[in-house]
Amino acid sequence: MNRHPLLRAYLAGIAIPTVVLLVVMTGYTIIRYVYNIPVPIERVIVFPMAAVPNAWGLWNLLYVAFLEKRHVSLGLFGGVLPLLLAPGGYVVTRLLGFTVPDAVFHVAPFALPIGLVVYYLVWKYFVGFLNAELGIA
Amino acid sequence: MSEPEMDEMKKLLKEALPPVGESELRRDLWPAMLRHLDERTVRVPWWDWVLLAGVSLLMLFFPGVIPALLYHL
Repeated sequence: MNRHPLLRAYLAGIAIPTVVLLVVMTGYTIIRYVYNIPVPIERVIVFPMAAVPNAWGLWNLLYVAFLEKRHVSLGLFGGVLPLLLAPGGYVVTRLLGFTVPDAVFHVAPFALPIGLVVYYLVWKYFVGFLNAELGIA
Repeated sequence: MSEPEMDEMKKLLKEALPPVGESELRRDLWPAMLRHLDERTVRVPWWDWVLLAGVSLLMLFFPGVIPALLYHL
């Protein structure tokens, strides 16, 4: 089971956001097209659909390749990821000309620390569990 | 194959395969297996419970952060 550890690290990394995305997109589709609630984020949905899972996979790959042997905490390393994803998501909205609602900026001071903690917990327990199951941690 | 040949074959096979010394285990492996299973149980430290409770409360008071969080997850 020591073959292709980086590939397994990538797959373990993308697993959680892929499953979450399925649930979120199902809910979004129902809200948007069944109940016709105007949430026109189709233009910027590419970020959570493509960039986020790949970022998780590459982040876990980096951890397994360079940091796992140095006993760096997986939770803390994963908790840093929102500091890259949040600006990345904002840049995508700007590049695509999407107007971010003011409410998002109002909750941003709370959203970022919450995001850091959620990422810390998810990476520590869920990604850590997958890494252990796949024999790379 | 004749009877003498069969006997010769049995003899050769016995010579080729050394007898197993101890067929019984030296110790009971089940306690070690139980210890191994216990090691796999997730132990959540108290500060992670505090973080989880804090995040849950913040989401309760500021539900507007949930869509922003889902967008980045």
